[in-house]
Amino acid sequence: MSNIQSLTYFLPELILTSSAMVIILTDVFFRGRNRNRLIWLLSLVALGIAAIFLLLQTTPPDAIFYGALAVDPYSRFFKWIFLLATVVIYVVSPYSRELDNNPRHEYYLFMLLVVFGLFLMASALDLIIVYLSIEIVSIGSFVLAGFLKQERLSNESSLKYVIYGALSSGVMLYGLSLLFGIAGSTNVFDIQAALSGVPDKAHLTLAVALLLVLTGFGYKIAMVPFHFWTPDVYQGAPTTITAYLSVAPKAAGFALALRILGITFGSSPDMNLGEWLPVEGLPFGTLIAIFSAATMTVGNIIAIQQSSVKRLLAYSSIAHAGYMLMAAAILNAQAVSAIMFYLAVYLFMNLGAFLVAIFIHNRYGYDEIEEWKGLGFQAPAVAVAMGIFLFSLTGLPPTAGFVGKVYLFSVLIEAQQFWWLAVLGVLNSVVSLYYYMRILKAMFLDSEPTGERISGHPALSGTILLLMIPVLLFGVYWSPLMNLVRSSLEFFSPGM
Amino acid sequence: MDTFDLLATIIKVVIVFVTILVTIIILGLAERRVSGFMQYRLGPNRVGPWGLLQTVADGIKFLFKEDIIPDNVNRPIYLLAPVITMIPAFMTFAVIPFGVPLEIAGHTVKLQVADINIGLLYILALTSVGVYGLVLAGWSAGSKYPLLGGLRSSAQLISYELAMGLAIVGVIMVSGGLTFNEIITHQQATSWNFWKQPLAALVFLVAMFAETNRLPFDLTEAEQELVGGYHTEYSSFKFLMFYMSEYANVITASGFMVCLFFGGWDMPFIDEKALGHWGVVLSVLAFVSKVGFFLFLYIWVRWTFPRFRYDQLMRLGWKVLLPLGLVNIFAVGLWMALRA
Amino acid sequence: MTTILFYLFSALLLGAALFVVLNRNPIYSVVGLVFAFMNLAAMYFLLEAYFIGVLQVLVYAGAIMVLFLFVVMLLNVQPDRPHPGLIHPDRWWFGIMALIFVSLFLLLIGQGVRALLTSPAEDAAGMGSVADVGEALFTSFLLPFEIASLLLTVALIGTVFLAKKKV
Repeated sequence: MSNIQSLTYFLPELILTSSAMVIILTDVFFRGRNRNRLIWLLSLVALGIAAIFLLLQTTPPDAIFYGALAVDPYSRFFKWIFLLATVVIYVVSPYSRELDNNPRHEYYLFMLLVVFGLFLMASALDLIIVYLSIEIVSIGSFVLAGFLKQERLSNESSLKYVIYGALSSGVMLYGLSLLFGIAGSTNVFDIQAALSGVPDKAHLTLAVALLLVLTGFGYKIAMVPFHFWTPDVYQGAPTTITAYLSVAPKAAGFALALRILGITFGSSPDMNLGEWLPVEGLPFGTLIAIFSAATMTVGNIIAIQQSSVKRLLAYSSIAHAGYMLMAAAILNAQAVSAIMFYLAVYLFMNLGAFLVAIFIHNRYGYDEIEEWKGLGFQAPAVAVAMGIFLFSLTGLPPTAGFVGKVYLFSVLIEAQQFWWLAVLGVLNSVVSLYYYMRILKAMFLDSEPTGERISGHPALSGTILLLMIPVLLFGVYWSPLMNLVRSSLEFFSPGM
Repeated sequence: MDTFDLLATIIKVVIVFVTILVTIIILGLAERRVSGFMQYRLGPNRVGPWGLLQTVADGIKFLFKEDIIPDNVNRPIYLLAPVITMIPAFMTFAVIPFGVPLEIAGHTVKLQVADINIGLLYILALTSVGVYGLVLAGWSAGSKYPLLGGLRSSAQLISYELAMGLAIVGVIMVSGGLTFNEIITHQQATSWNFWKQPLAALVFLVAMFAETNRLPFDLTEAEQELVGGYHTEYSSFKFLMFYMSEYANVITASGFMVCLFFGGWDMPFIDEKALGHWGVVLSVLAFVSKVGFFLFLYIWVRWTFPRFRYDQLMRLGWKVLLPLGLVNIFAVGLWMALRA
Repeated sequence: MTTILFYLFSALLLGAALFVVLNRNPIYSVVGLVFAFMNLAAMYFLLEAYFIGVLQVLVYAGAIMVLFLFVVMLLNVQPDRPHPGLIHPDRWWFGIMALIFVSLFLLLIGQGVRALLTSPAEDAAGMGSVADVGEALFTSFLLPFEIASLLLTVALIGTVFLAKKKV
């Protein structure tokens, strides 16, 4: 549809960008002492209004801006995930001591811009938008990772992120350009249509293009072997940003990869999710399965040796991406719904775990496991919440993590393929039990009760406890979430 | 392309090149004499009648000077830099039309060396490339004054390229095309762009002064401050090349300004095309006189305004001219939208 | 005629690119890269994409590479010192691997591209002029255009934030 008409469907994103502009101007002209608070408030208001507009968007699936973006329940679901993650981080950020003596107003501004990029990633239907949205999120993340300009670790993490991100973007762009050259158009549906007419000799070119594009997507979701930036960036960045990066861009990467790859290389054009279209010489499903296995294993095994909890959680997030990729090896409706469910659950448990890390960091300034000793007696509520998050990350009942993992495994089992991958997944979950329980052990079993109490800011502790609720709730009564996921499984396709 | 066109193009190239060289010679003399008159003195009038051969004498002097190449220069780049400066300076004039098309022997010869469909952008692209000559000359000389001068100079050039481009956008919007012929024809049909977009004309004029490194923006060659700026370590013929490139840039800039804002070869109230050969002569005369006026303006401004400091210059380029250019585009757009 | 020019410009482009990578002096590399971009612009002109060609010179070779040059000059990057023994000790391995990699890549892509050239892909003729690009840019590709400007804003603000001294 035309550009003017599309604007009405684009309202949440418009709110985000216009408020970003307002914040930039406020930043320049307002010199009061409460500038940080004011901008924090403005951003929250903007996010709230965007959420309201998102809620009001009940139109059937459609494509806007001449087919560049999709407005459908699938992208809406992911936009909710992004908004939720952002709001949680916003609520907690003013109380994170790490960020003191730093210009918080820039921080809020960049997060707003990153959210805009994430929204675009979830709705992209055009190769150019794919690249631009990934770049907006990446560049915003580069800056946010390097936010603590006085800390060497933060500078280092930002630099590594920049170099790695630039390289991956370049490789992905090359793949995208090859794809465009083969198909003659940047719209994924046109590409899908053109692929059937590709002569046999060009299948190898197509496979190369696909691998290159996969490199870019793999970098975003931290898939092995494109994960090398993750531990250093997650460790060096401020913990609030690490929490955000481990959830939101990863979810966006999955949303984008599933949609783009599913449409282009899926066997049916309207994303009714059949199987992967076999490209000559490239059994795509098996390839994803191998990546998944590698990702899970590498993530879990290296996490065992970590003593810094932030780094440990970074490797664990790599492992979780691996679990989700298990389902991505089979691209059917069940698989996509399992991934979406797991991402929603993962949002709660991962953010919760990182928020407790922020809690510790506020108190001690470090996040080695030694600092966690005795937390069970010093801050019982928070420690219990952390215990629940850890159980959920491992995948033990009755937490939501268990339910999510069951869904992921059941995809493989019901499709009756890749048995070895399912077995590997279970083994990896067992391995992950070790390092998650190490933290639990440190919290409760490693020291005597001293009667000392730590308390953080009520906003921080309150959010941690609030996040604990869905983790427990969805462990026993998860059908509301699953129904939401199933109803969001509608994609835009040109036949509509 | 048949032989007639080929021949015509070759002749045009030769004519334009020779004319630029001759104009450089005259401009060199005019600058010194006019400056003299403005400063209430005579200027050089010994060599030849009224001093007309002065620049020739200067050229001979340059040729006979010893060509010194200091030890610590980076030789390849040192030798390459004047070439890089000079080539765009002479190439830019190729797209500027200096008269109505001439009808000879049944063929139409455009009085323009190359009529390409990206017209204006060609000049902008070449000015962008011309920056390299300065910065490489400054760096290769291996001494701090040229390096400083070269860096400052290129920073100045790329900053004012923006203002120049923005000023041009307003003209392109009303003319409906990028080629010079479209712009001049539009001005012939309506009035000169100067009357309709004075702000753009002013911004463009200032930007042109900065682009050609002429006073009041010539701090990069300011003798009092930087010895000689980027061409300090150059002597003899290589210095002459920088000198000639600067004048060639001035001539092209004047031609550019005339074509964009003052109607090019157009004389108001006269339809040159209808007058046949006399129309051609008239249009060429009109063009030459207008360009001549702007050359005089360059010299006039030189002795009227004091030199800008570097930070004042950058502030002017980014904080004043850039917003003014944007305002102009916005105003033109608004006017076009309201009229339609 | 076009074919001759194409081979000429491609040879110059590849030569310049190799020069950029293999040269020890960073300033020479930058100048070599500028030259490479000029040849690339020439190839765009051969494809009748005049607007993109002139933009390549105007923006890429004329502005971005000047910034590269600034950075190299201001950081005073010194030329690499040659290895003792005048030539790199692993040169044979590097050469063989590079040769294998490049030829494999060219084989994969080249075969595919040539196969595609015989398939019915419409020639996007007449799309090179400014009017056509402008029309596409302001209708079907308006959103990517605006998002690109937002991306540049993010990068600009981020760079200034990361680089400035006083917090």
